[in-house]
Amino acid sequence: MTQPRNVLVIEDGTEYTDAFRNLVATDAAGSIELVRAADFEDARRVLSERAVDAAFLDVVFDRIAPEKLIGDWEGLIRRFGGDRRRAERHLAENQGFYLLNELAPLLPEGIPVVIAYDFSAEPERLAALRRRCEQVSGVTDGTPISAVLETLLARLTSGDTPGGLP
Amino acid sequence: MIGAAGLVAFVALSVLAAPGDCPEDAPALAAEADLLIAEAGPSPDASTLERARRLYRRARVLLPTPEFSLRAADLACAAGDEEECGDLLSEAAETSSGGLTPADRLLLARRAELRRAWREAISQYQALRAATNDAGLSSWAEEKIRRLEVEVEAQSIAAPAAAPPPEARLLLAEARRALAAGDLPKARERLAIARRLSPGYPEAALVLAALETREGRAPEAIRAYREALATDPARFEALVGLANLLWDEPDRSAKEEALSLTDRALAARPDAPSLLKTSAVRWAEWGDAPKALARIDAYRRRASPEEKRATESLRESLARRVDALLSGRTVPEESSPIAELSSPAVDEWKVAQAYVRRGDPASLAAALEHLREAERLDPTFAPAPELAGAVHVKLGDLSLAQKAYERAIGADPTRAATYERLAFLLARQPGREAEADEAWRRAEQAGSSEALFALAESAARKGRRGEALALYRRYLGESPAGVHGEEASRSIERLESGRRTSLGAVAIAAAALLVIGAVVGYRRFGGRTFEEWIRAHPARAREARPIVGRLRHEVVKHGGLLLADAAKRLSEPDAEARRRTAALLLSRLYESEKSNRDGLIPQSFETLARLKILAREDGYRLNLEHKDPLFSPVARAAMVLAPVAGGLTWLSTGPELVPDRIVRRVVGRLERAAALFGSVRGAEISRLVDQASSTRVNLSALQDVLGAVCAEKGIGPPPILEWHGPEIAVRVDRADLETIWRNLFANAIDAAEGLPVSDVRLGVFAELRRDPVTGAPVARVVLADNVPRPLTADMIRGRGADRGWGVVADLLRRHDGSADVSAPPAAGYVKGIVIEVPAVETGMPS
Repeated sequence: MTQPRNVLVIEDGTEYTDAFRNLVATDAAGSIELVRAADFEDARRVLSERAVDAAFLDVVFDRIAPEKLIGDWEGLIRRFGGDRRRAERHLAENQGFYLLNELAPLLPEGIPVVIAYDFSAEPERLAALRRRCEQVSGVTDGTPISAVLETLLARLTSGDTPGGLP
Repeated sequence: MIGAAGLVAFVALSVLAAPGDCPEDAPALAAEADLLIAEAGPSPDASTLERARRLYRRARVLLPTPEFSLRAADLACAAGDEEECGDLLSEAAETSSGGLTPADRLLLARRAELRRAWREAISQYQALRAATNDAGLSSWAEEKIRRLEVEVEAQSIAAPAAAPPPEARLLLAEARRALAAGDLPKARERLAIARRLSPGYPEAALVLAALETREGRAPEAIRAYREALATDPARFEALVGLANLLWDEPDRSAKEEALSLTDRALAARPDAPSLLKTSAVRWAEWGDAPKALARIDAYRRRASPEEKRATESLRESLARRVDALLSGRTVPEESSPIAELSSPAVDEWKVAQAYVRRGDPASLAAALEHLREAERLDPTFAPAPELAGAVHVKLGDLSLAQKAYERAIGADPTRAATYERLAFLLARQPGREAEADEAWRRAEQAGSSEALFALAESAARKGRRGEALALYRRYLGESPAGVHGEEASRSIERLESGRRTSLGAVAIAAAALLVIGAVVGYRRFGGRTFEEWIRAHPARAREARPIVGRLRHEVVKHGGLLLADAAKRLSEPDAEARRRTAALLLSRLYESEKSNRDGLIPQSFETLARLKILAREDGYRLNLEHKDPLFSPVARAAMVLAPVAGGLTWLSTGPELVPDRIVRRVVGRLERAAALFGSVRGAEISRLVDQASSTRVNLSALQDVLGAVCAEKGIGPPPILEWHGPEIAVRVDRADLETIWRNLFANAIDAAEGLPVSDVRLGVFAELRRDPVTGAPVARVVLADNVPRPLTADMIRGRGADRGWGVVADLLRRHDGSADVSAPPAAGYVKGIVIEVPAVETGMPS
């Protein structure tokens, strides 16, 4: 019997975790163990405590306390002309990218990483992110959750990704 | 919390409190407590309050003065300890030798108000009014008392029930239709889901009561009517329905309640003639002739000559009894028929009822035994064979059920309920419609309103339009709040319109069809597309972008992720997988308190509506549902998904009971919606918004702006403008971008005071960068000049910035951009101004 693969799901709600848990086929569900983290500190703790075989990141984190949003607050407040609320909104709407940026050095080398963002119209943006985290891929609109899981369970070999994931 | 007023009063009392003939440390303890509270501010925490309370307890033991009791009460009240607060207030009142002062009363009243103890507050204000000689204060207290009395009254009024969700209303409508069509299992199923979606929904309780009544489950029907009355105590239909059922119960207390309920219903609708007659008959049976006579007279005042004739003998009989009562005579020949409904047979019937409520086959068999015994003990006790008939129906033996009902009719030919049950039983059996109709007719003669509707339906089916119309009208008249009211009204309309069929009607119908066709055509082909609007009003793209973003990332993406796999899971035979999947979908599609986020369907409709509202401000009516190739799949997916709530609710609660056809229907809709979400061209929508709101920045465009600025200032020719780097497109609309550049150029020229314009050198260094974290494209444009006048970052930021910098800063902020001062980017320049704004990656506008 093979060891279940640990999938780290970082999201502010439980939508993705619930979907992975309830909607994937029973055989696939049996082969994974889902570990949810709600913010950067949670995710860092998980990564320090256990081996993780794949990671999935939500993008928008508008349901956690602002102080839990990771990012360059000062720089952003300056960028938005001293407007702290706009800086907070920007961080919440892009938190998945900030998490990816901070967690990339902590993630085991070569594990599949999926961020819930459709890069199909922005291929160069994905290429830019891959310079920071080589194995990251996005989720094209319309991709079923089973295809996302397939990507997460696939070892990075040739750079190809299944499903509709660029 | 103590509150500001309380604190002022509290401190005042503290100051006024004088130590008397007592051990010296009591005032010291009180003073220490007062100090604690004063230092804690207007909202002392629980531990401070507790410490202060302890100090006062010790002070009161040493010196039980009313002042200390009052202050201790104040602290107890602030700590939420109402019981101790009340005790201490009483203690203060009892120990006060000269009575409480008006100020004390005022404090107590205010404390009571804070605790919403309205009666206590009224009492204190009344005492205050009595204790004061000040006319103004007395009048003020009077007004307070009046307001608080309203609060007391308001407390006794039950809160209205929350409006049921649309899904529940839809399901209830289906349940009503099924009930009217005689499809009782379907009605029960729809009703169960509606009630789960909206517990305490009185309409659903009423329909359930009607359903239970029809199935002969009187105890369940009674419970349902009581439930309806709990949320709506004046509901006419529930009052009448419950009264009818209780009147059929054998014990006297139930009948007494039935009489009371009938009177409550009459109070609600004093002009309901059939109810007046029913009430009169019941009071007569109960033995209260005067009440019966008053009601029958009221009925006859509104009755037709025929109805008057029909009640003539009852009226005379009642009048004789009333005369006898008034003259002190007895009327032995007309004793109450229900006075002695307490017998061994009734006891057996009650035991049988208890077994029937359990519902399992063994209990039903036991119930039949007790009912047989009841029949043996009292062959005239009709409720026993009637209940036996209902039990046989439950057990599926229709022949025995029919025989039991016939025995019940033999024992008491006046019971409408027995005929109704027999009629229902016969109607369920093919080829026995005529017998069923006969049973309905006898039920109708016994006073059944239900029978009127059933006979009307039967007549309509057989094409006897006139008879059906008369019966429907009678039903509406005799049962104005009946369960079939809507169906009866619709049937009347249908039958009446059938009568009036003529050339004119055909013409009207044709015109109506044309209008409907025009409306449908307008809905489908009228209006504008999102693309037409956003291209005509590109400045709107900035407002449309977050809405479109939400639609893509919260609706389309999640719809795609969920639905196809959910359809597969629901197709599997595993009941637990079905249940979990359905529960997940209910939460994600409709609403989710757990996730604190709207469901996909409401989000779909809301985002589309918000786009329409934006467009309407520009005079555009968007047809996103039918005409728009980009958005119509979203709208259609939401519409495809909207009706599956019922099926999903059923699957989430009892998946093993859900028929396959329901599962197939739900799965089919999920698959269709998944395909529709999959066909949404989300990237194209975003690109369209980006293109509409983006502007190319290149040398030619900037030279035009610079030329215009110089022309305005009467300067010519313009300074040299150099361009370095690629042409870029920024996510700023043309008008705003021009304003930004006009201000930048004007500032540079104004700063060059004393320097000939021909010597001013401007350079634009454009670069497409990526945000180091998000990877999003960012345009970095440096405007360099050789003007020696210094410029600092403070001078260009903020609303108070000089020379148009405030405008630039505001516009950049609006477009998520920023401005800063930089070192000269190349030789020959003195300084640079860095502008960073979001850029567009692909599909740059031409």
